[in-house]
Formats: sequence, structure tokens, C-alpha cells
Amino acid sequence: SSTDSHIQYERVGADVTMKCGSMDWDAAVTWMANGTDIDKSHLNGSYLILKNVDLSQSGQYSCYEGSSWHLKYQTSLRVGMPPKEPVLMCRSNNYPKGFYCSWHLPTPTYIPNSFDISVIHGTREMVCEKDVFPKNRCHIRYLQLFSTVKYKVTLTVTNALGKNSTTLTFDEFAIVKPDPPESVVAKPVPNNPRRLEVSWQNPSSWPDPESFPLKFFLRYRPLILDQWQHVELSDGTSHTITDAYAGKEYIIQVAAKDNDIGTWSDWSVAVHATPWTEEPKHLTTEAQVTETTSASTSSFMPPPTTKICDKGAVVGSGTVAVCWTAGLVLAAYGVLFI
Amino acid sequence: MAAADSPSAALRRRDLCSRGIRLAGKMRSDVVDLLDSYVEQQGLDASASVAAVEGVPVAATEHWHEQTRTQRLLENLAAYRAFRALLAQMLEEQQEQLGEADAALGRALAAVLLQVSAFAYHLEELLQLESHGPPSEEVAGPPLPPHLGLFERKLRGLGVLRELAQWAVRSARDLRQLSRASLGSSSAPSPAESP
Repeated sequence: SSTDSHIQYERVGADVTMKCGSMDWDAAVTWMANGTDIDKSHLNGSYLILKNVDLSQSGQYSCYEGSSWHLKYQTSLRVGMPPKEPVLMCRSNNYPKGFYCSWHLPTPTYIPNSFDISVIHGTREMVCEKDVFPKNRCHIRYLQLFSTVKYKVTLTVTNALGKNSTTLTFDEFAIVKPDPPESVVAKPVPNNPRRLEVSWQNPSSWPDPESFPLKFFLRYRPLILDQWQHVELSDGTSHTITDAYAGKEYIIQVAAKDNDIGTWSDWSVAVHATPWTEEPKHLTTEAQVTETTSASTSSFMPPPTTKICDKGAVVGSGTVAVCWTAGLVLAAYGVLFI
Repeated sequence: MAAADSPSAALRRRDLCSRGIRLAGKMRSDVVDLLDSYVEQQGLDASASVAAVEGVPVAATEHWHEQTRTQRLLENLAAYRAFRALLAQMLEEQQEQLGEADAALGRALAAVLLQVSAFAYHLEELLQLESHGPPSEEVAGPPLPPHLGLFERKLRGLGVLRELAQWAVRSARDLRQLSRASLGSSSAPSPAESP
């Protein structure tokens, strides 16, 4: 453990003994935690004994002389844990400008931590400038391009109860991963029931798409199916899907990758679109009833000439609804069969 | 310089650049595959660091954005001429090895050597368009270090292939910069911000 003049850090599960300042062991004292008296069963003489401390025992501890109620000692107890090995990630989403590294702890320590990061390229130590937000991130500007020498990034996390560290080693190309494409738009194509026009933009974080072009991967499927169709596109920021199922709503996403190096971005935000369908004609006369529509629709409407039941003559519901007329016919056939 | 900027020269440059970019992409893909085979065949550790070897052109640069068209072409040409000689030497050493796996490695090396030669020719053509003309071969680079032991030769080979893979990426970028300048869609390779 370590004791600041006002703060005392202790590990979860530790046994803590607090002395009441310079008071003798046999002095009469009163201990309080966060303004509440502590039961004398926790005292050994004037010492406060806390066994197997847990997080709920963090707080302000005060010791008062028995008769005068003079404050003799005060400390802020912070119960926490030493840091576990941090999780570190480095990525270049703005190649060739630089890369960033971000980190987090796999489990909280419940006490303040400080992070120190070092970046070494060959024999050269580089500066990783910490971001204001988020706080657990810093960025490095590339001083060289096309280097075979690996980068070595070491992150050390320290708190009052201990320290831990992790190291990543990688080469310049391996961490290049653009952000997903932006502004993905999918539209039906007029008079084309099987086409959808998709367009998108380069991620705004990619600084120079002309010199460092991206290629794209598009995936799409109708909502009613689980299987994706994929198309890889080496240039351009648009594509026309030509094999869509007529009338079905589609979900579409796009990913990006530098043309030459690195890995694919995450998928873009999904967009939905349904191919163009012909408007069903409005039925006003019996002569128009026999016209047929040219595209499938989402719900089936039986043609009026096949109507066999009036609404009021239906018995039952759902799949077993039967109208009286049909019932009589079926009964007649049944009798004949018997 | 007027000839270098004529419409026909610009079209020729664009054509050479786009073919060169495709060749660089194929070359890189083949070199990466060759690297995997080489590491396995030679019993090397893929993650081993190899110190810079004399005579192997280093692709790393701190001033890539500031380079002029001519500088890019000259540096590329010097590199690929050096790689041509290095790969020829590696091939000669490889052909002394016995075994089918070694023969396969030798064939892969020969294929890459061919691509490197073709790319060097492409660069010479591009330099002709710059009205500079390619420099003579004598200034291609220092002579290769002779009489290396077997292990040193293996490490040198690893270094050669790694740098060649980096150069293939750099060359594609360089040719895109040249192609952009030819289109006139932006000014000549701008000094832009430093990396």
C-alpha cells in the first residue's frame, strides 16, 4: 500500500490498520467513516482494524480524541487493485499521415491510473501526442514511408498499487485500416425492377485518396434472406446492383481498403432500399378488373373473378376459415364418398 | 521540356504509368509469395530483423511527398537496376542448390527477375519522356559484396526480397503521382504536407 498525506490506497482483500495519528495505543478515541461512528468491535486499542477490505469501504476516515473530540487523524481510504495487462491497439486510418494507438484496461482498478507510451522505430524514439479526447489515445506522424523497419509500441500503466505493461510490434503497412465509407446511398432505378443504384464517399479521415486510392467491397442481401452477395470494386464510388429480387427490400453495406496495403475497414452503416416496382393500376370498372400487374407485390390479392365467399358467410378463422357454400359442397362430396 | 509536355507525350506517360502500376501490383503479389517460400525454404525466421545490407536499395524515404517527377523516376530506376543484379546473383546461387523445392524457388526467383527487368524498362521509357533519358547502367549502384557465407547469403536474400516488396508498393504510388501530374488535375507532384 502507499499513503499520501491525505489519501491511502489499499488493495481489495488487504487487512488495513489505521493509527490515530500520534495517539497512544491505549488512548480513548472515536473513529468515524464518512461521518458515521465505527463500531468499537473494529478497534484494537486506538487502532482501527479493517480486515479483507472491499470497494464499499472506500471513504473518509477520521479519528477523534475521546473526550475533547479533537480531530487527530484523517485519511481518504481508496480501495482498488493494481492494473492488469492493458489492451493496446494501433491503427492507421489516415495513411500516409500517421497512425494512432489507443488502449484500455480489461478490468477497472477503481483508483487513478497513469499511462505512459513509448514508440520506437529502429533506433529512433518517436513522440506519441496524446489526444485531448478520448484520453486513452495518442497519435504519431510518420517520419518515413515504405520502411521495412518495424515499430515497437510499449504502453505502461501505473497506479498506487502497481504497474503493468504491454508491447506491440508491427510494420507500417500492417496497421493500415481505413474508416468505413461514408454517405452510403441506395436508390431504385426507375423502370428497372431488378436494379439498385448504390453510391458512397471515401471516408473523410483518408487524407489523399487520389495518391492513395481505396478499393471497396459491397455486400447486399434481401431482408428475407441471410446470405450476402459480394462485389469487389477496384475504383469508383458507385455500383449498380442488377440482380435484385423484384419488390424485395434490400440491406446494403460497403467497406474500404487501401488499394495496395493493410486490411479492410469495418462495414459502413447499413442502408435499405427496394427496387422500383410499377404502380398497381386503380380498379374503377369491371372491364379494368382483368388487367394484370407487371410486378410482384408484397401481399397477394386474389382476382375478384375467383371470389367464392362473402365476408359474412365465413365460419372459423385463420387457415381453417370456411364459408357456408364451400362447406355444403364439401359435405355433399363427403356423403357421396361414404 | 515542351516535348515532354506535348499531348502525345502526356498520353504515352499515362499509358506507361497505368501499365506500370499494374505491373508493380503483380510484382508485389509475387514477391510476397516468394518471400513466404524463401523463408520456409531457407529455414529462416519470418520475423527476423535484417540490418540494411550494402547494395540493397532501401525503399524508406522521409521526403516522398516533396519529390519531383524526375527524382521519383531516377530513384526507382536505380533501385530496380540494383534489384535486377541482386536477383540474378540470388538465382545463380539458388541454381547451385539441389532438390525439387529449390528448383521451384529458382523458378519463382526467375519470374520475379523478369518482372523487375520489365519494370526497369518501363521506367527507362518514362524517363525518355522526361527528356532526360535514363542514366547509363554504370551508375546503377555499388558492386555486390562477394564471398558471403551461406547464412549471410540467406539473410541478404531475405533483405533483398523485403525491400523489393516495399519498393513495389512505393513504385505504384510514385507512378500514380506521375499519372496525376500528366492529367493536369492537380499541379505537379506537390510538396504537400510532410508525412
